[in-house]
Amino acid sequence: MTRRDAGRMILGAATVAGGSEFLAGATEQQKRPSENQFAPPAPDRFKNYQPQFFSAEEFHILDAFTDLLIPADETPGARDAHVAPFIDFVVNAAAEYEPGMQKKWRRAMAWLQTQNFGSLSKDRQLALMREMSQPEHDRQKKHPGFFAYRLIKEMTLHAFYTSREGLIGDLDYQGMAYLTHFPGCTHPEHHRV
Amino acid sequence: MKQFDVIVVGSGATGGWACMALAEAGFKVALLEAGSRIDWRKEFHHDWPYEAPFRGSGKPGYLRKFFPGASEYNYKIMIDARENPYTTAPGEPFRWIRSRILGGRTLHWARASDRMSDFEFKAATRDGYGEDWPISYREIAPYYDRVERFIGVSAAPAGLPQFPDGSFLPPMPLNCAETIFQAAAKQIGIPATPRRLAQLTRPLHGRPSCHYCGNCVDGCDVGAMFNTVDSTLPPALKTGNVTLMCDSVVSHVLVNDEHRARGVRYVERYTGRSVEIGAKVVVLAGSSLENTRLMLNSEHGGLANSSGVLGQYLMDQIAGAGVTGYLPVLKGGPVRDDDGKADGLYIPNFVNIGGRTNSKNFIRGFAMSASGGCQRFPGYARAMPGFGSDFKRQVRNLYPSYARVWLSGGEMLARKENFVDLDPVVRDKWGVPALRIHCTHCDNDRKLYEGFFEHAKELFHAAHGEVLHAEPHLAIPGSMIHEVGTCRMGSDAKKSVLNSYCQTHDISNLFVFGGGCFVTTGDKHPTLTMLALAARGCDHLVESVRRGAI
Repeated sequence: MTRRDAGRMILGAATVAGGSEFLAGATEQQKRPSENQFAPPAPDRFKNYQPQFFSAEEFHILDAFTDLLIPADETPGARDAHVAPFIDFVVNAAAEYEPGMQKKWRRAMAWLQTQNFGSLSKDRQLALMREMSQPEHDRQKKHPGFFAYRLIKEMTLHAFYTSREGLIGDLDYQGMAYLTHFPGCTHPEHHRV
Repeated sequence: MKQFDVIVVGSGATGGWACMALAEAGFKVALLEAGSRIDWRKEFHHDWPYEAPFRGSGKPGYLRKFFPGASEYNYKIMIDARENPYTTAPGEPFRWIRSRILGGRTLHWARASDRMSDFEFKAATRDGYGEDWPISYREIAPYYDRVERFIGVSAAPAGLPQFPDGSFLPPMPLNCAETIFQAAAKQIGIPATPRRLAQLTRPLHGRPSCHYCGNCVDGCDVGAMFNTVDSTLPPALKTGNVTLMCDSVVSHVLVNDEHRARGVRYVERYTGRSVEIGAKVVVLAGSSLENTRLMLNSEHGGLANSSGVLGQYLMDQIAGAGVTGYLPVLKGGPVRDDDGKADGLYIPNFVNIGGRTNSKNFIRGFAMSASGGCQRFPGYARAMPGFGSDFKRQVRNLYPSYARVWLSGGEMLARKENFVDLDPVVRDKWGVPALRIHCTHCDNDRKLYEGFFEHAKELFHAAHGEVLHAEPHLAIPGSMIHEVGTCRMGSDAKKSVLNSYCQTHDISNLFVFGGGCFVTTGDKHPTLTMLALAARGCDHLVESVRRGAI
């Protein structure tokens, strides 16, 4: 355990009842007592965002699809991270130097519209997404919606894990700090394999 | 025409050093930089991905088209390809990653600072291929010392003849993944040591220690990493002997009737006006290929090119992604600050250094690097199948265990067929002919990569790593950003452009610093050697002027 791990644990322990018992039983597996103190708040770019590129129906589909890709559960999800608005912002900006990107997104949304994705129940949406994603698990398999699935998934991963909700809220990233010493490895067991 | 003692063209690593050394020796120096001086502290300040409008990627298509190799965080210190074209033959791509800015590529370099050894300087004597350098380790060692003491290199002594030790600051500690890889390397009998970095672990010459923010390649906001602006320029300016001229795009070295350099002509970056200034000595330090381009443009057939080899023997060290995956022992463990310092376990070359190390498949050597742990972006997630909460948990689970082993420099053989010349048609924004680059890999280059790849997999397996992606192909030339050669040094004036002091054989008052002089790439990162050769060249320059030889 590093000094910083210990510090975060102590901070966490102080806020729960029976903190001393918590500390006595604490192991390195205990996580997220405090978040990265160096991370500034996210700029408020997407509050009340109106889509610029996608139609209302396309945007509705995109929002539902990305929410199922990265749902909110014990940590924030795509909706918390404004993934759909960010994607709209990026694809809209592609007009100038990468119009081909816009064509791909139109094609992907058109395919999902042929499946009535927007009006399916959540279970049916999930079932369709599992089918679309089959080639990821088995390269022999083909699916006409695979390109749309990959396009949305890759941009969603980019959007989510670069957001504050993804990077700090979900991954608990500890870098980008100002330190006097780099903590390094403090585990004797890592010195042998 | 304004007159100076010395004109230094370019403000990168060697230009900054030359400016400092020559100004401190009492010369009146004009330092010309093609790019601008930018507001340093304002540009570089710990930008988080979610603070950038496009989260680091820039407007779609913009950086790829106009600032190849740059990110949204650092493109302002990279070059604008629209103003600065270069050309290649069809099917022979070359990545030329450049900067035109006060400080040049020292603003975003990887900071790796390694000494070359006689295994490299005298490689031709050992294996019969190519030419030896006209300099030995013993001759350059005092200059390595001097440079290291000034720039500050954090490192651990390794006691290896192929990777000489120097004057070091304390090394940066290894993170967990690197510690495991170090143990794995030991088990399979290969050397491994913290990467040697021109990055301070204690204050030096008024520069503060590193604060481990991990933003080095976007520029260091306190100057803890060596760069011209924070390191060599302040003492240079303090002498009162330096005239700093940014936004001055040098187009020609001027020569007089006795075929001696008499100054340079430059174009004012914004007005396009052509200006000439004079000097007793001209020092080119505008990067390996820009120096050569300038010499090719200064005189028909190339300036100082009686040997005919100017432009030839272009090299870039062999690069490649190697192996990525994860270390199961770290899976599901606590999230730690793993990327606050430069990636770093360094595995110095251990092949073709005699006896059982000699390969039957290829000549020369390579160095590997290994690192891992939590990174600012979990790139491995793209390769993971599935979605939903399970997917999220898996990404989190692997986060602390991500690991990779990559090629941090393999020797590319020096070959005459790899060369640069001037494009007959394409010109840059200031009317200077663009460089035309011809560079391909040879069989030995590919075999050397295969050799690296086998060892990378072996190391990964010794660390009990699980491979997610293995890249068996080498990257296109230029990718390492260690382009060297085209103005090589040698003791035979018929086969080289420069002598061992980086002084042209043909024109005694013309010096060329940087990677152009390299006879081989070796397997080390090149900057420290460029700096040591520049320091040695400056000593020779000063001494020659004082005894009237120039």
